[in-house]
Amino acid sequence: MTAHTDPPTADTGGVDDEQLPCGRLLSRVWDDWEQQTDDPHRQTCPHCRRAVLDLDDLEVAVRGLRDETADSYASEATSLTRRVMEVVRLELRPGRPVPLGEPDEDLWIMEAVAARALRAAAETVTGVRAGSCRLLSLSTSDTTDGRVEVRLGIHAPSGVSLPELAEEVRRRVREAADRELGVAVATIDVHVTDLIDTADDSQEGRTS
Amino acid sequence: MTRDTAHTSLAEEIARAVETVPGVAFLRPGLAGRLRPTRGRPQRGKDAAPAAGALTAGAPTTGARTTAEVPTTRVPMTGVSAAGVRLSGPDGTGRRHVEIHLVALRQSRALDVARAARRRVEAHLVERFPAEPAPARVTVTVTGQV
Amino acid sequence: MAGVRNQNAPPDAGGETEDSLLTVRAAEGDEDAFAVLVQSHAPSLIRLATRLLGGRAEAEDAVQDAFISAWRRLPEFHHRSSFGTWMYRIVTNRCLNVLRARKPVAPLEAAGEIAAPEHSASPARIVEARDAVRELGEALDQLSVEQRACWVLRELDGQSYEFIADAVGISQEAVRARVFRARRCLTQAMGAWR
Repeated sequence: MTAHTDPPTADTGGVDDEQLPCGRLLSRVWDDWEQQTDDPHRQTCPHCRRAVLDLDDLEVAVRGLRDETADSYASEATSLTRRVMEVVRLELRPGRPVPLGEPDEDLWIMEAVAARALRAAAETVTGVRAGSCRLLSLSTSDTTDGRVEVRLGIHAPSGVSLPELAEEVRRRVREAADRELGVAVATIDVHVTDLIDTADDSQEGRTS
Repeated sequence: MTRDTAHTSLAEEIARAVETVPGVAFLRPGLAGRLRPTRGRPQRGKDAAPAAGALTAGAPTTGARTTAEVPTTRVPMTGVSAAGVRLSGPDGTGRRHVEIHLVALRQSRALDVARAARRRVEAHLVERFPAEPAPARVTVTVTGQV
Repeated sequence: MAGVRNQNAPPDAGGETEDSLLTVRAAEGDEDAFAVLVQSHAPSLIRLATRLLGGRAEAEDAVQDAFISAWRRLPEFHHRSSFGTWMYRIVTNRCLNVLRARKPVAPLEAAGEIAAPEHSASPARIVEARDAVRELGEALDQLSVEQRACWVLRELDGQSYEFIADAVGISQEAVRARVFRARRCLTQAMGAWR
């Protein structure tokens, strides 16, 4: 192994710790400094103050590094996102096909593709964000009736009637499944997995 | 002409025909075809369910990224294909099987696009092989919407 | 970008709900949801990787690989942590591997006795910040992989010892010891510049 790595326990014994002339261990002095404990000794002892001064100097030197905000990487982030997505879009995720049309037409749509259309339909209801969306074929061991069960998780706006909201989501999802896809839907289960505080939204708006 | 090259050119003919179907954006090419999806669905009678994702690309697999972390199975090349089209048969019953993977336009209804694609393939085969008795089995899978 | 994030909050706080939703969607194959996650988490992860590795190009490669690996592993991601924390861990590990592969054999003992760099004869008591950063970078290169990683995560990224222990995969005590040794090396190096 060429790597310069530490053995698992070598560092834990404080082997290269240092006892200051005042009797305190350097590790303890620095630890107190880090935790900002109120210690009269540290204020008055010249050795401890000297040890802490070293750390303060280091602190000054790293400040420039630390204060650099993530925003300064925005343009790198954009080009990196593009490169990542080029790879991701080439890699078809293994998935399940869902039947289109009548039973036994032998026409299919990949579940992830259908799910995208149904999530978008659910999100046409004001304040709704769609999460998990699964389309499960209703079938027994040797028949497929061509219909699917939709299971949809949503974040709902707080302060509205959830049964009514869920019914509206179901209506739009069913409509999209028929009009945009041609998937025969048997049932639509809507699970509200989170409530979104709409007061925040109206104050801050959404950036999306 | 060998049987394989005949098949390849037929697959390409079918691909070109399907690409002109209204609502079809393009046929799903490339790497997508080399991964077999996990399947959670029973097969229909004796007919195997469509091997969505099991189409094998006609092009060599250069530049393929390692997919070692993906729980998929590499599919050996069976049948001969153009991108997005796989042909097999005629089998013992004289029946061909054509599998199409296509990306549809979002503004078109996926089912209508899939049906139109199937009709186009059937029409093409009838034209090419008027003497063949059994109709081909055509499987269409919409693998994307753009 | 969806959701407004509080600038002063930790990277995840404001968008955690939105992130969890997008993570579920991405796990189900929604590439657009994944793109939003990548775009919003990339800046802080590139910064982290740059701090750990020292160079931007290498850092971007590490983060890119980490995201692609995350996309493949998403179906098995069970939301025990947030997407941000998960990515932070993946990037940290990838950087550790890069550092381990890169590091030439350097005796551990030598790390504590860094010779004064030749160009350090500056008489100024207060080193100009840019120089200090460069010198610091050189001093950092003298640390062991784990010392460097623990110090960067603690001092530059402000992570808790508990968090670092989890991300690096060692005990909290071991993290504390490595941060201590890193500080010793760096303060000694600083002393040499003056």
